[in-house]
Amino acid sequence: MISTANPVVPTNAIQLEGTRFGAIAFDPADAVEFSEGLIGFETSKRFVTISAGEGSPFRWLQSLDDPTLAFLLADPDVFLPTYAPELPNGALAGLGIAPGSPYLLFTTANVPPGRPREATLNLAAPIVVNPYARRGAQIVLDGDAYTIRHRAFPQASEPEKGERARRAA
Amino acid sequence: MLVLTRKLQQSIMIGEEIEIVVLEVRGEGVRLGIRAPKNVTVHRKEVFDLIRDENAGAASVSPEDLPPGPDPS
Repeated sequence: MISTANPVVPTNAIQLEGTRFGAIAFDPADAVEFSEGLIGFETSKRFVTISAGEGSPFRWLQSLDDPTLAFLLADPDVFLPTYAPELPNGALAGLGIAPGSPYLLFTTANVPPGRPREATLNLAAPIVVNPYARRGAQIVLDGDAYTIRHRAFPQASEPEKGERARRAA
Repeated sequence: MLVLTRKLQQSIMIGEEIEIVVLEVRGEGVRLGIRAPKNVTVHRKEVFDLIRDENAGAASVSPEDLPPGPDPS
C-alpha cells in the first residue's frame, strides 16, 4: 500500500488525479518549486514528495504539473553514508540556502524492471531542496568524483542466496 | 546549424547575455570560456544526455519494483 503525501488529509487538501499511485491528496503548502525543472524534464516545476512506505529509504517526487510524472528518489545517507558532494558555487545560494543552513539531499534512483537488487543511484546530479523556502533543484556536480550509476546494493556473488533467505523468512 | 569561424580570443554572443570565448586550441581540444547569467545552466552535452537518461529511468520505475532498504551490515 502506498501512502499519500499527507496520510491525514488537511482541510485545504487538493486532489491530484491520474498519478501512478491513483488519486493523491496534498496540501498546496507542501509543494516544492523547481524553477528549472529536472534535466530533460524542464516543463514540470512544482512537486510534492510522497513516502514510498514507512521506513523506506525511497520516496517519489511527484509532479503537480504532470500527474503521470514521478521520479524515484533515494536518501543517499542510507546507502552511502560517506556521500558528501561538493556543490558548485552558487548552487545553494540559488535556492536561498545560507552558508551553514540545513538542506535536504536526495539522489534519483533507477531500477531495471523486475530487478530491484540492481537499483542504481545517480550521485553525479543530486536533488537539493531548501525545506523552508520549499525550493529545489537538480545540481550537476563539477568533476567526476561521483558516478551517475552507483549500485545501491553490493553486487551479490550468489544472487540465489538472497532469494532462498527471503523464501525461508 | 549556424557555422562560424573564430580565432583565439574571439567570441560569439548568443542573445545579449551569453558570450562564448575561444580561449585555447590545442590539438583536437578547444577550451571555451562561457559568460552567462546565473539562471542559465551550462552543461557538457554528453553529461547532460546521461543525466537526462537517468532521470527518464527514475521517472519510469514501477512501484512494484521498489527495492528494500540496504542490507543490514
